[in-house]
Amino acid sequence: MPQYQTWEEFSRAAEKLYLADPMRARVVLKYRHVNGNLCIKVTDDLVCLVYRTDQAQDVKKIEKFHSQLMRLMVAKESRNVTMETD
Amino acid sequence: MVAVPVVLLESEQFLSELTRLFPKCRASGRVFITLKKCDGRTRSIPKKGSVEGCEPADNKCLLIATDGKKKVSTVVSSKEANKFQMAYSSLLRAKMDGLKKRDKKNKSKKAKTPQ
Repeated sequence: MPQYQTWEEFSRAAEKLYLADPMRARVVLKYRHVNGNLCIKVTDDLVCLVYRTDQAQDVKKIEKFHSQLMRLMVAKESRNVTMETD
Repeated sequence: MVAVPVVLLESEQFLSELTRLFPKCRASGRVFITLKKCDGRTRSIPKKGSVEGCEPADNKCLLIATDGKKKVSTVVSSKEANKFQMAYSSLLRAKMDGLKKRDKKNKSKKAKTPQ
């Protein structure tokens, strides 16, 4: 389970993983207030990418990334439509 | 893993349930949020409850939140996505505030701790 040290590496790899197979990939967010840490995991059941943090500044990045993926998931159809119309 | 019945909610209900989940886990435990693209045949959703699965559509995603005991979920489609996302983002940012702040110098001017 490769764990990433930098956010940039993780987000790039995670996005790639999702785009490779959007139906299989899923994003899991684990928040532990007691320990004060947050863990984001992206997996397609074969590969599993993890990024752990206890920094508040990463919360925004993680949450933004999460929303980005959400948008990708729901936008697929509309995206295709706009791309197809000439 | 214990099979926890998944409750499928409307996105607004989901948000209010999620809002309640966080404070419950502040003292102990953790919050799990899963995001997955929805296609209409997701086997991970148990048949219990009012979950029929998603309609066969390409533009939906499934969100599941749990604290290990209670599980709530919702399906977000592209129509609700914008509205849901804004509320969801602010919810996450507000609730996940237990992490270490790196600097005392915050870039955001809004962050003023009232004394």
